[in-house]
Amino acid sequence: MFKKKLLTLGLAIIVIMSLFVGCAAEKKKEAAKIIGTIRLATTTSTQDSGLLDVILPDFTYKTGYNVDVIAVGSGEAIKMGENGEADVLLVHSPQAEKDFVAAGHSPARYDVMYNDFVIIGPKNDPAGIKAAAPNNAQAAFKKIYDDKVTFISRADKSGTNTKELSIWTKLGLVPSGDWYIESGKGMGDVITMTNEKLGYTLSDRATWLNMSANTDLAIVTEGDKDLFNQYGVMVVDPKKNAQINAAGALAFQEWILSADTQKLIGQYGIEKYGKALFTPNAAAK
Amino acid sequence: MNIIIDRITKEYGGRKVLDVDSLDLNEGAFCGVIGPNGSGKSTLLNIIAGLAEATSGQVFYEEYGMTEPPLKRMTMVFQTPYLLRTTVEKNIAYPLKLRGWKPQDIDNRIRELADELGLTDFLKHKNWSLSGGEAQKVALARALSFRPELLLLDEPTANIDPATTAEIERMLKKTNEEGTTVIVVTHNLVQAKRLCKETLLLNKGKVVEFGPCEKMLKNPENELTQRFIAGEILI
Amino acid sequence: MDVIAEGFKAAIALLLKGDAQLYEIVGLSLGVSLCSVAISTFIGVPLGALIGTRDFKFKNALLRVIYTLMSLPPVIAGLLVFLFIMRRGPLGSLELAYTPTAMVIAQVCLVTPIITGLTYNIVREKADKVKNIAVTLGAGKFEVLKLLLSELKIGILAAIVTGMGRSLSEVGAVMIVGGNIKGKTRVMTTYIAQLKSMGDYSTAIAVGIVLMVLAFLINSFLYNYQQRDERL
Repeated sequence: MFKKKLLTLGLAIIVIMSLFVGCAAEKKKEAAKIIGTIRLATTTSTQDSGLLDVILPDFTYKTGYNVDVIAVGSGEAIKMGENGEADVLLVHSPQAEKDFVAAGHSPARYDVMYNDFVIIGPKNDPAGIKAAAPNNAQAAFKKIYDDKVTFISRADKSGTNTKELSIWTKLGLVPSGDWYIESGKGMGDVITMTNEKLGYTLSDRATWLNMSANTDLAIVTEGDKDLFNQYGVMVVDPKKNAQINAAGALAFQEWILSADTQKLIGQYGIEKYGKALFTPNAAAK
Repeated sequence: MNIIIDRITKEYGGRKVLDVDSLDLNEGAFCGVIGPNGSGKSTLLNIIAGLAEATSGQVFYEEYGMTEPPLKRMTMVFQTPYLLRTTVEKNIAYPLKLRGWKPQDIDNRIRELADELGLTDFLKHKNWSLSGGEAQKVALARALSFRPELLLLDEPTANIDPATTAEIERMLKKTNEEGTTVIVVTHNLVQAKRLCKETLLLNKGKVVEFGPCEKMLKNPENELTQRFIAGEILI
Repeated sequence: MDVIAEGFKAAIALLLKGDAQLYEIVGLSLGVSLCSVAISTFIGVPLGALIGTRDFKFKNALLRVIYTLMSLPPVIAGLLVFLFIMRRGPLGSLELAYTPTAMVIAQVCLVTPIITGLTYNIVREKADKVKNIAVTLGAGKFEVLKLLLSELKIGILAAIVTGMGRSLSEVGAVMIVGGNIKGKTRVMTTYIAQLKSMGDYSTAIAVGIVLMVLAFLINSFLYNYQQRDERL
């Protein structure tokens, strides 16, 4: 009998506490004078880098717009833009973005920042990639292809995947076989898989820095211009449907391209990793 | 209450399981219903109780020609007692509450019944803590609480130990002496001889014989009855 | 092996610290689940009882549908709801996509058949006995229903708690219609999935512990109630 009362009490406490805290969180938002919400479609790597968690509160504070961040693969983010399911996009697939604008889904795209990709593999580099091509992405890929080294691909139309495929294309090679694993997963998962299988993969530097401590991997190739990862922002054409928050989307675009925000972007990561994760490169107004 | 059965039949999917032309039970009767398995005993009881509908025919309750069972003045006890999820006390009180009895009267009546059936120590016990015999006694007390005019029982002591069976039988006799009509289905011919004033033998849904108990069970006229009592399997 | 150990250590630390984000997520999980189970109970219990005590023409067909829906894959429920509420969908103007409301809707679709089906089973199994007793003790139609509800209380409670467990542990539907948005639609299950994909195992384990503790508490509650079983 007592045991039952104790359990009921425990349950009641947790329920009440959580609902209480949940409500408190709601009140906090009201205090910041919210005038609306925008839906930002971006990539999982962008979300996982932690950048948005740090800089978005600034946007809400300055403009009064809350941001619903929907993190999916680049391909899906752009599809969401096409369908009018998002108000503004922040992705890193320059060619796809240019096509998006050309097709009329957005008035224009703007450079926001870039980070770079790195090729990572086991610390002891059994395939000798680092020795052969520490700064040459195409050479590294060629060696992986020739030696049939285990390579994990995102295979999900993400920005990272697009970058990877572009390198194969430049080499005129079509990777296939047991060594080439098409996972269809996000960057974090792919790094985990690479670690498990002692293979190699292409990753954006931000996610890599976030996860490196938990793996036995290391960078084998970096610094090549081919490994450049350019982020772009685009507002979705508001004529698509009545729910698109055009004003909010434009406010976001303006904010992320502004000098103050660009400075914030350039500072992200220094405290934690000693090095900035992103280099802001919005065109000066 | 007296019961008149008028050409009652019951069919299940084209098969006739009960076909009783007529049966007359006077007020104060104590009728034992016997017969082989599947002879329609329980079906007959359920129809009288209002739990099942006859395919054709009527049951008349009381001389006034009531064809609807007067549910508030009759009751039934089943082979396996179903007690409500509560104390013995509250179980017995349930039918009294349904009939709007005053709390004081309910208390008195419960005490009276508990006394007669040896349940006084069990009143505050929960239903799941009782043995089979105790539970059946509670079911009986509950059924008798409002002093029904008609009491139906379907093999009430089939799974009960002899001592408790004796208590229950004593209670049934007493109730019958106070005027309640009792119809009890039983497999136990010795029990029937002990309790009943009249006996009804069913076989394959039809009445084989109906008559005063002692005569039927000691010197049956009907050949089928003879064979049944002798323990033969009736086909 | 030490990843897991590290994870547990970090988990305890996080829980004791009283991390606000964690509590917000737990609160939302409970809120969404309690809400959807409440609605599902309101619909499912009477519906299950009704089907269990009556006979009607399409009863068998209806039961087949309910039993199938009981194992409806959550991602399908999520997908279907999303197709309706997305901006391009027929209910797009209601702006329900990526909101806790959408999560409740999807979960109601999942939990209602479960509660209905389980209630139906309980009622079908016991309703006849209860009805017989009620009728032979002189209960009228309404009193029979009252008795039915009070006698089957525990079985029905089991059905509700089963629904609650299903709802708390569900991740596919709430991910699709909710989007795991920080501070808005992030619940324990979607958060765990995200943390794992980010490689943050310690926080994932911490949230996992909270989820398991809640599940344990809810089930212990039921277990204690069920302890005293009936003897029919």
